[in-house]
Amino acid sequence: MGRNLKLENLTKQFGTLTAVDHVNLEIEEGEFLCFLGPSGCGKTTVLRMITGFETVTSGKILFDGKVINNVIPQKREFGIVFQSYALFPNMTVEENIVFGLKVRKMPKKAMEERVDQMLDLIGLRDWRKLYPPQLSGGQQQRVALVRALAPNPQVLLLDEPLSALDAKIRVRLRAEVKRLQQELKKTMIYVTHDQEEALSIADRVVVMEKGKFRQVGKPIDIYKYPNSSFVADFVGTSNFFKGDWTEGWVNTGKRRFKVGQKGSLTGEEVLLAIRPEKVEVFKMGEPPENLESSNLLPGRIDVVTFLGAAVRLVIHIDGEELISDVIEKEFEQKQLRQGDDVFLYFPPEAFAVYSTKEASG
Amino acid sequence: MNRTQTIQGSPASSPLESDRWLTWIAMGFLLVILAFFMLYPVFDICKLSFFKNGIFTLKNYATYFTNPRMFRSFTNSLYVSIVTTLITTVLAFFFAYGLTRTTIRGKGVFYTISTFPLIAPSIIQGLALILLFGRNGLITRYLLHTDWNIYGSTGIIVAECLYCFPNALFILYTTLSAVDTRLDEAAQSLGASALKTFYKVTLPPAKYGIASAAALVFNLTITDFGVPVVIGGNYSVLATEIYQQVIGMQRFDLGATISVILLIPSVGAFLLNYYLTKKSYALISGQARPFLQPSRPFKRWAFTLYCWIPCVFILIVFASVFAGSLVKTWPYDFSLTFKHFDFPSLGGYGPIWTQFWASVLKGEWQSIIAYKYAPIWNSFWVSILVALGGASLTLLTGYIIEKKKPKGNQILYILSVLPAAIPGTVMGLGYILAFNKPYFFIYGTFWIIIINITIANFTLGVLSSIANLKQIDKSIEEAAVSLGAGAITTFQRVVFPLTKTAFLSNMIFFFMRSMTTISAVIFLVSARVKLAAIEIIFLDIDGRTASANAMCTILILIVVAMLIVMRFVTGKSGLKGMSTST
Repeated sequence: MGRNLKLENLTKQFGTLTAVDHVNLEIEEGEFLCFLGPSGCGKTTVLRMITGFETVTSGKILFDGKVINNVIPQKREFGIVFQSYALFPNMTVEENIVFGLKVRKMPKKAMEERVDQMLDLIGLRDWRKLYPPQLSGGQQQRVALVRALAPNPQVLLLDEPLSALDAKIRVRLRAEVKRLQQELKKTMIYVTHDQEEALSIADRVVVMEKGKFRQVGKPIDIYKYPNSSFVADFVGTSNFFKGDWTEGWVNTGKRRFKVGQKGSLTGEEVLLAIRPEKVEVFKMGEPPENLESSNLLPGRIDVVTFLGAAVRLVIHIDGEELISDVIEKEFEQKQLRQGDDVFLYFPPEAFAVYSTKEASG
Repeated sequence: MNRTQTIQGSPASSPLESDRWLTWIAMGFLLVILAFFMLYPVFDICKLSFFKNGIFTLKNYATYFTNPRMFRSFTNSLYVSIVTTLITTVLAFFFAYGLTRTTIRGKGVFYTISTFPLIAPSIIQGLALILLFGRNGLITRYLLHTDWNIYGSTGIIVAECLYCFPNALFILYTTLSAVDTRLDEAAQSLGASALKTFYKVTLPPAKYGIASAAALVFNLTITDFGVPVVIGGNYSVLATEIYQQVIGMQRFDLGATISVILLIPSVGAFLLNYYLTKKSYALISGQARPFLQPSRPFKRWAFTLYCWIPCVFILIVFASVFAGSLVKTWPYDFSLTFKHFDFPSLGGYGPIWTQFWASVLKGEWQSIIAYKYAPIWNSFWVSILVALGGASLTLLTGYIIEKKKPKGNQILYILSVLPAAIPGTVMGLGYILAFNKPYFFIYGTFWIIIINITIANFTLGVLSSIANLKQIDKSIEEAAVSLGAGAITTFQRVVFPLTKTAFLSNMIFFFMRSMTTISAVIFLVSARVKLAAIEIIFLDIDGRTASANAMCTILILIVVAMLIVMRFVTGKSGLKGMSTST
């Protein structure tokens, strides 16, 4: 039996504002879960309720089958890593790590061993006598990570731990956190607004918006099958069209798209979403064959942005801007240039259809 | 680790409540202290001034306002305060301008000299002016052979200007150094003349700072007791009139009435200063401070000369008092002597001190050290206790207000900033009225003095604690808590070490204030309970001017020694950013 963390109808109100709205979730022992959402969506509030720094308005937090709503933070034995590192500036690296052990009155010998073990974990053995301001941001956050891990917490909570770091270090540390999690098999709950970070690091992602859990699932499922236009927009990038859905067709007014998804209602107003990498680009004059002609639109390449392995094109079609991601190799082969007139193809099965009512709610 | 047990073994209250009871107890304790030792005495004063035999009456006020001899103190107070305010604000503004907006040399020297008046009791200005311009003044009698002397309003104004100068300077320095100098450059590049730039660009953002400095000077001057008592002569002001009525005439009811009258302008000026400071910070915060363009030679030359003027005055004040204590008969016989340091007929008693030296020494030395120097010893240990107690209590108060924010912390905030609004003489009289009762066992001891000085200087201690605690990231405390540390461990191991420098500088502030304060404490001393700063006044009143200077010199030396010690401990000057009130 794993020691699961469970949220039951968890709600937090600040005055009239509902920051977290009746959310339910079960987090399994050893799982790496990520709360993802725009700022103000309530993800940090959920985390703070789990840590015990925020009181619960209604609902329950259960750990190992017991309600812990009223357990003080010290007794929860959950480790926390903060965005601002929050290392004690008056203590050395070593003293920071030892802090939680001293509070627990661990025997001296065991304490020293534990500190060595922790320093080895992050490869900072030589830095033990330094003070936090003498370390770089990335090093400080690594120290903060093992400081939180040192007392062997039940759960490790990370509140936007990498947001204050440079892009490169962020990616490197992200991998390190993932490695640590797999090595230690520790339950980790991670909060971030960076979708790329969430998708790359977590076993499971909870996408939050306005205090609600919009979608819970594996990163790949969230990305491939967003269950709402919000998720489709927030996680990754999507092109959207608004239109009426009739049988296998969506009429946007200017044009009609064939859609793979079968609709039961007719004439319902919907949002049509398609990922940039699903949008195919062909040079004018190289007419592709066997394509659904209604889903083929002429346009012009406005902006070309190199993303590394892929190239992002901003394409103008009839007063609208659309985004298409083309892998670099293909971009070279097709000899696409800024200002080129092109055909865009939207494969019918690549469209996701969302009700507009759900989107506004 | 037995996790099942730890999870069950916790209190059933809300998570943060467990620490909260500790916060509540601490806040309750502070509220009781402030209410009992600040509000209650003031309340007693109001009661005495408005009630006679339990019946409400305005008779006391009628007496005060219809008696020209007494009413004089009101108009006199307003006159000297307004004039001092105008002069000091203007002088300090251009001084601050020189230090912040020009590239003159020796800014550090100017700044340091300008803070000197803070390390001495306010009477030092009076003593020095008497030495130079008094009836036997060096300049008036010895050099000019004139009968004119500085006693009266002129003396008060000059002395108060010197005393208030550093206080006004701190505010104006902060204001002017925060205003964006690039705006000046922009205006000049657009073709505005230097004068126009000053009026249209430099002055407007500084207006609240200027007004707030003026309000502070007004408050300091109208509440000051030390200067008018030594140099006022027959020129009575509100603060001295209270003392006169109470100690001279035993008219407690009139003393209380004048106290209430004094409270009005003093509280008004305090509130104005407080309000303007907030506005000023809102106006100046968050602006960049780029490199200062080199000033033109004439500007540099003029401001250097200008900055020397107040500095020379301040140096002369200190030099005259030191000299006055060391020469045989000022200004006739300038041969050096230490005889004034053998204080005449000044029997005293200091706990531990007297017993110790009386048993160690014999004869003349016994009487000098064990008895005559007892008031200095008393001042010292009282100040040490005030420093420890004041710095601790204000840190605790600041911590509760800034970090814990329990319900009702606004009340605690208001009560803790209020003491600066209450004039020392009023507070002192209030203490007599409230606590001179047989069952109130600490009245008439040093303990009531320690409490009084601590409360009277509470405001600045709390404000500087809050400012310091604001800089500590909330996450740092949460990190400690999440690692399992309780409220007390967190405070001890994390919060306190991070505020140590501020704590030490608060300690030195309380120490200085305690060594030099006069106004409130003069009501609380007695034949057995003596303090050095008060003895300066009594020596001066007795005509023992040289010994008064000697006592003042010793006080200054002790404070300076303490500042040097602190400088070694904290690695920086304990004076920076320290403004005083009352």
